[in-house]
Amino acid sequence: MLKIKWPIFIFLLGFAGSLASASLAAELEKDELTLGFIKLTDCAPLVIAKEKGFFEEEGLFVKLEPQANWKTLMDRIIDGELDGSHMLAPAPLGHTAGLLTKANIIAPYVMSENGAGISVSKEVWEKMKPNIPLQADGKPVHPIGAEKMKPVVEDFKNQGKSFKMAMTYPVGVHNYSLRYWLAAGGIHPGFYTATDTNGFTDGDVQLSVTPPPQMPAVLQAGTVQGVCVNDPWHTQISVRGIGVPVTSSYFYHRGLPDKVFGVTAEWADKHPKTLNAVVRSLIRAGKWLDESVANRDEAARILSKPEYVGADTKIISRMLTGKFGYGEDDIRDEPDWDVFFRGYASYPYYSGGVWWLTQIRRWGQIAENKPDEWYIDLVKKVYRPDIWTAAAKELVAEGKLAESDIPQTDGFKEIPAENFIDGIAFNGKKPNEYLQKFAIGKK
Amino acid sequence: MTKTNSEEWIRQVLFKGGIPLLTFGIFLLIWSRASAGIQTNLGQVPGPGQVVEQVKSLAYEHMNERQKAVEFYKTQKERNAKKLSEDPSAQVKVRKYTGKPTYLDQIGTSLRTVFTGFLIASVVAVPLGILCGLNRTVMTALNPLIQIFKPVSPVAWLPIVTMVVSAVYAVPKDWLPKSYVISSITVSLCCLWPSLINTSIGVSSLDKDYINVGRVLKLGFFAKVFKIVLPASMPYVFAGLRISLGVGWIVLIASEMLAQNPGLGKFIWDEFQNGSSQSLARIMVAVFTIGLIGFALDRVMLFFQKLASFGTEQRA
Amino acid sequence: MAFLELEDVSKSYGQGRDRIEVLHGIDLEVEEGEFVAVLGFSGTGKTTLVSLIGGLIRPDRGSVRLNGKEVLNPGPHCGFVFQNYSLLPWLSARKNIDLVVDHLFKDWTKSKRRDHVDRYLEMVHLSAAAEKKPRELSGGMRQRVSVARALAMNPQMLLLDEPLGALDAITRASLQAEISKIWSRDRKTVVLVTNDIDEAILLADRIVPLTPGPRATLGPIFTVSLPRPRTRAEFNEDPVYKRLRNDITKYFLSFRHGTRDTEADIRLPNIRPLEMAVR
Repeated sequence: MLKIKWPIFIFLLGFAGSLASASLAAELEKDELTLGFIKLTDCAPLVIAKEKGFFEEEGLFVKLEPQANWKTLMDRIIDGELDGSHMLAPAPLGHTAGLLTKANIIAPYVMSENGAGISVSKEVWEKMKPNIPLQADGKPVHPIGAEKMKPVVEDFKNQGKSFKMAMTYPVGVHNYSLRYWLAAGGIHPGFYTATDTNGFTDGDVQLSVTPPPQMPAVLQAGTVQGVCVNDPWHTQISVRGIGVPVTSSYFYHRGLPDKVFGVTAEWADKHPKTLNAVVRSLIRAGKWLDESVANRDEAARILSKPEYVGADTKIISRMLTGKFGYGEDDIRDEPDWDVFFRGYASYPYYSGGVWWLTQIRRWGQIAENKPDEWYIDLVKKVYRPDIWTAAAKELVAEGKLAESDIPQTDGFKEIPAENFIDGIAFNGKKPNEYLQKFAIGKK
Repeated sequence: MTKTNSEEWIRQVLFKGGIPLLTFGIFLLIWSRASAGIQTNLGQVPGPGQVVEQVKSLAYEHMNERQKAVEFYKTQKERNAKKLSEDPSAQVKVRKYTGKPTYLDQIGTSLRTVFTGFLIASVVAVPLGILCGLNRTVMTALNPLIQIFKPVSPVAWLPIVTMVVSAVYAVPKDWLPKSYVISSITVSLCCLWPSLINTSIGVSSLDKDYINVGRVLKLGFFAKVFKIVLPASMPYVFAGLRISLGVGWIVLIASEMLAQNPGLGKFIWDEFQNGSSQSLARIMVAVFTIGLIGFALDRVMLFFQKLASFGTEQRA
Repeated sequence: MAFLELEDVSKSYGQGRDRIEVLHGIDLEVEEGEFVAVLGFSGTGKTTLVSLIGGLIRPDRGSVRLNGKEVLNPGPHCGFVFQNYSLLPWLSARKNIDLVVDHLFKDWTKSKRRDHVDRYLEMVHLSAAAEKKPRELSGGMRQRVSVARALAMNPQMLLLDEPLGALDAITRASLQAEISKIWSRDRKTVVLVTNDIDEAILLADRIVPLTPGPRATLGPIFTVSLPRPRTRAEFNEDPVYKRLRNDITKYFLSFRHGTRDTEADIRLPNIRPLEMAVR
């Protein structure tokens, strides 16, 4: 009797097993996740992935938790309280390189390109205006380079006052973005040295960290003369008449990753299938966001919920649906202020990571000159287009993505001169050569 | 009741109830006038009307969220039942609803955290206070430490507590999140001092005669403490506990803002980050909530304090 | 060898320049079953003397011996009745006595202990008020509870430190009569400290005066040969009582009249209360 029973038993087991696995595409190591984000409009891919059901379709049950600030967010990723998170593009590099709390973090998905804007106070704007040429319709010509602000900075210096600007995180997008813009206009933003961890050395201006919600207040109070942050803060500043946005990274270093989605390397090793599911959801969310203005509009309404970005719908939707106000009397069409998917924006190119690293070196946070291989090896550990590509290919096979949505690349994208306000083209494979080209900055 | 009795009663009610109500009414008037007048670039100060609106809005959101959760669980149950009916050996999972915590949830979290912190603090402070009160050497030894650590603000403790907890409690359990532990411990560190000091004062100022009763009976140390010292110093102990709870509640809100414990403190910080046109009004709702809860907690502790003090008369 | 012996007992307080000798060279012998009254002015060291006898404090010189053994620590052999009753205010009258009985007579059965407590409550006529807390009792009742508690310990000796000092004259008189009655049942050894001459004569077998301080010492002993039971009413007529009262009063007055400069010499002991507050 036993002899007959065994094969039947094994058959039933196999049948049940295949049923079970068929019901969940692949057995995920962990399907209840807590992901962190900061209340900026570019957390959109995460929010859309949840609200439009992309996470759930992948078998993921996700809790999205807003964090108090970038430092707290990174700490909670590192100590494991958060499974993954919205991150500043340079942050995983900084941590993996040991410039901040040493931790191996990987970024398999770019959440947004561009979006780092710069606003100045009303007082500074009034002083800048005479230097800015006007279009036929009387509005200022954009892009506005920092050289238009240089006389104002000189003015402050002559009066013995320090010119201060605010950004969000020492190893973050806004710090380097602001410095790039300032240096391109001939203003020295200051170096970091062994003794100067504030980065004021030799600078014409002083850059310091301020949490985004406080930026309107400090700009209004005159504590700082300008801020570099993402939306919705610029629209807030413009709408409330506190200051005037003058430009954004779209104008002065277009086509580089702004925010990424990151997890620790250990977490990725332990949960490869889950990570794959997350990236699949994000890709679908990113694609949805860039599909139409109607989608962007819907996204603005979702993001204005208090548990997400929370700002008023009309403030979020302005930038998101492709308009931007450089002051309330000057609202223009800017469809690419934030790009989530178009032009392969969500693909984590190595070159994007290398670019941020060059900027980190340029201002002295990387203390010594490093060979090209150092940059490339580090970025290859952190930015993971392989994970992105694997997920994307699966989606193509399931018909949820077009073949054309996957870039044909070796991971390096050259960025042409016209993308930069100072006209210096970028080749990711030759970082040191690139650094030599700058008038201001370490080499 | 006789006529004069009811007259007296009415007068009492009018006095005790009417005057505060009147004051509150005047306050509301001043507030609504002032808020209408104050317009800044950073937003308008919300008046009482807007705050009431936000109370309604928060209540509505809460019910909404609860409804969503109910539906989620219902759908999950149906799905699981369906799966099981098709294949009895299939693996079904019961998942928790992943929606956001509502305002009432956040209030509950804050209350739970403050009580945890308060309990930890009391369990440490009262025995230590008794020791200090009974033994001058212990008091002299601990006094400098107490005086140095007492004034430290919770915000200063947070980074240290965070680091220690992260190192020691490396793998958090689901029902005990790290942020909860961090907030509770920070609350304890700040609120144990009033209890400790009050208990030691109460114990050391104990009537010598009561101690002598214990000496004559040749009571052992623990018998002396539990039968004589503790009951006699109860009024002081409870006064200290009451102050501690008050301090703890204040500290909690501050520590939640940074430790990310999902309570009222986090609610305020998140609203601040939102910067929407309702944010200030919602923050004011939170301010009033915090105040009212603090008031209620104090009354509860006062009740216990009175209860304990009934046991102690004035010296003849 | 007497039941209670004090030999050359001295006690001082204070340090260095502030050091005051409160009691100097106290010699006393008390037989078992005797009722001795120590009579003196207030503030002369009567409480110190009682505390020394009971072992709450130790003498600087000399020794206190009970039944031949030196008294080094307080214990249930000595029942105290303080002027301030020292009843634990969070316990009822019964529970105050229970505390003592339950602790000392742990090996008795519950009912035996209950009966014991009832007996003493009955003795002080407080059975009806047994469940009341001290703050609900009058001064006289509280003192009765205190006496009941002391007696319930079955001590070898009773020490009464001005027990009726805080009461009004009428209550005092009635309690004196009660104490007299209770004592005559068990005939325990009692040392009563008081400033009331009539009380001393009413209750004691011997009266020992304490000279005014500092360096107070015991004066000549007055024996009370009046028969028991003694009542106040009888006193007014009794010539023996009148003479005794006169003698004792004269003895004390001699300190006041004869030596006016000793009065100037009287310095109150400079005892500083301990700082209790946390700085």
